[in-house]
Amino acid sequence: MLNVLMLGIGQCGNRILDAINKEAFGGSMINKYCFGPKFPSRVDTLAINTAINDLKELRFTLAKDRLHVPNLHGVGANRYNGKQAFWDNRDMIMEEIEKRGDIDITFVITSTSGGTGSSFSPLLIQELKRRYRKICVIIVAVLPFREEGAIYLQNAAFSIRELMEAEADGLILVDNQYLKRYSGDIASAYDKINSMVAQRLLFLIDSLDSEMLMVTDLGDFKTVMSGGLCIGTIGFFQSDKKNPSVKSAIENSLKPSNLLYPANVYDDAARAMVIIQGSKEYLEVDEITKEIERLSASAGQVFKGLVVKRGYPKVLSVFTLASVPELESLYAQAARAIQDEKDRKKRAKKQLTDAFAHIEDMDEIY
Amino acid sequence: MKLVYLAIFLLLVLCAHAQNDDETIFDEFTLNIGDRIEIGNYRILFIEVQSEKDGLAILGVSKPGGTLDEQRVMLVNNANTFDGGAEEGGLTITVEEIFDDQTAKVRVEHKENMGTARKRVSEGPKIAKNVPNLIVKKNLDKGRLTVGEDVKVTVTVKNIGTGTASSIQLEDLPPLSEFTFLAGYPPKIKDKLEPEESDSAIYVMTAVNDGSVKVPSIQVKYKDSKENQKSNNSAPFDLIIDPKSKPQLNIEMVPSGPLPAGGQGLLNISIANIGRASATKIKIESDIEPSVGFEAIGLDKTFFEIPPGKIESYSAQLIGKNSGNYTIILRAAYSSSEESMLSEMQTEIVVLEREYKYLYLLLIIPIMAIAVWILKRYREYKY
Repeated sequence: MLNVLMLGIGQCGNRILDAINKEAFGGSMINKYCFGPKFPSRVDTLAINTAINDLKELRFTLAKDRLHVPNLHGVGANRYNGKQAFWDNRDMIMEEIEKRGDIDITFVITSTSGGTGSSFSPLLIQELKRRYRKICVIIVAVLPFREEGAIYLQNAAFSIRELMEAEADGLILVDNQYLKRYSGDIASAYDKINSMVAQRLLFLIDSLDSEMLMVTDLGDFKTVMSGGLCIGTIGFFQSDKKNPSVKSAIENSLKPSNLLYPANVYDDAARAMVIIQGSKEYLEVDEITKEIERLSASAGQVFKGLVVKRGYPKVLSVFTLASVPELESLYAQAARAIQDEKDRKKRAKKQLTDAFAHIEDMDEIY
Repeated sequence: MKLVYLAIFLLLVLCAHAQNDDETIFDEFTLNIGDRIEIGNYRILFIEVQSEKDGLAILGVSKPGGTLDEQRVMLVNNANTFDGGAEEGGLTITVEEIFDDQTAKVRVEHKENMGTARKRVSEGPKIAKNVPNLIVKKNLDKGRLTVGEDVKVTVTVKNIGTGTASSIQLEDLPPLSEFTFLAGYPPKIKDKLEPEESDSAIYVMTAVNDGSVKVPSIQVKYKDSKENQKSNNSAPFDLIIDPKSKPQLNIEMVPSGPLPAGGQGLLNISIANIGRASATKIKIESDIEPSVGFEAIGLDKTFFEIPPGKIESYSAQLIGKNSGNYTIILRAAYSSSEESMLSEMQTEIVVLEREYKYLYLLLIIPIMAIAVWILKRYREYKY
């Protein structure tokens, strides 16, 4: 059985972690009071945040799984403050993680744009890698809405760079900007995105830890995540009564519209893992093989897993990318935003200096 | 002249006075035997009433010195003259009315100049000599009877008078419908009884019907020495005749109270003979309705005899298996001297519903457990 630790860092990470816990409860508040969470493996969760109010907002995460890092009320999207808060409380944080016992794989779920998540996560991954050399650390990094502001874009840019430098085993991108199309308003978009991420991660864990007809395990997953830029994303599709075809499900799971990050799998994928789950009668081997072969032709290496479970076919596709043009675009936007911010500050400073110049060499007279 | 008129007036008054002294007057007296009337030198003594029926009374008239000493039987309303009668300066005596054998009204006529007649009441006994007086009594040897029982009636007649009673006859009026007469009826006693002598007669009768009976008086008729017919009655009295004596068993059942379902209790049973005869060969049998769900041990019993007024008691064990109302019926079959009899009594026993004392806990405990569980979960998730 896999020992999984899921760390939700910062407000965004906390919420996705809460969504994972909710998903483990079957999405029901009654189940929360009546039953325990049903994780496929031994899953421990820990929500870390400097803002206590963000921790209080969580509904499905146990109190003992919420760690408040004392730094007044958050770090105010300031990564310097965030980093300092981490160093000040590193031992406490690591001690809390150690309490979770053996860990095979850790998912560090964080926003790249916020204060706590973007600053804590790279440092925490370094600490995890330093202390637990053998564990697999996968980052689930959430990119911001582009219109959220210069600081968030700046934080995202620097945070992603630091995350890549932190020697994690892989980075799964979730792009809020891309996913907001699923819902009209921001609040429900967030909920929808959180729910999508939670569902896919739990499906992934379930698949890695299940007895399969065709096996994909943690090692395969690590191999996939180490391909290309070590940056990947996840696609998912669940067929229904109208169209229970597994072929269609595989195709749909690879479509950009069903990915957490906009990519063209057939053009950009470096390595891939396709996990198919469903009733035997829907799992046509020829169709599956044909689709996997089609993907292999472009992606190079494709791991496939088959889980026989009652229901219509569900397909989860994980893949790493060889190129991320959208990320480059984000960096360009971030650079512009940083430059604009600099200019604004410069102008403001000049205005202030000019204003002060009016009273230069003058004293107060009473 | 005035003196002449006065003298004439006085002369006229004296003449008138002389004429009044010669006038005959009369006095009337009611006399008891022994009473006397004194007028002038005469003494009149009322001796006795010889016959009320015939209106004859005996009076004696005497004068001091023995010139007159005469007893005469006087007929009512017949004048009797002594010394030539009142017109001749003697006495005329008439018995006007005889009230009873002791009292009579006497009229004495005499000349006015003899003075005023005075009555001298006798201090001696008023009872006339030689007068019988019979009293009669009727007694039963039992104050209360039972149908079929014999009773001895004693009739006693006693002469408490001073004379001999003769031609004695008893007239008894018995309550015939309630009795039959066995022997000695009608009662007979001596024909003649001397003073202080008594006689009795006994007869026996059997009570045939129950109820309250008024025993009428018995009358004794007799004659005195003067052939006067007299009678006397005994006092009537009441008599109760009970129905024929037989046993009567009264069953009383006192349960210890409602039984809890599955619990036990006692039933105290008393068999009292409230009849007037012994009950024998008593067999007590029980019946329980409904027969399922309730059990009684020791209800059936036998007794050889229960004398009148006695009580036999025993207890039975009750076992209430199922809740409900149960009726215990006890029948006592017993015998009297002549017939077999049956008494029956029933009582209701309530077996209560099983009491689930802590039933509410079945509800409260799960609610509490759920509440505690929810609270625990809430606290686990409360941050």
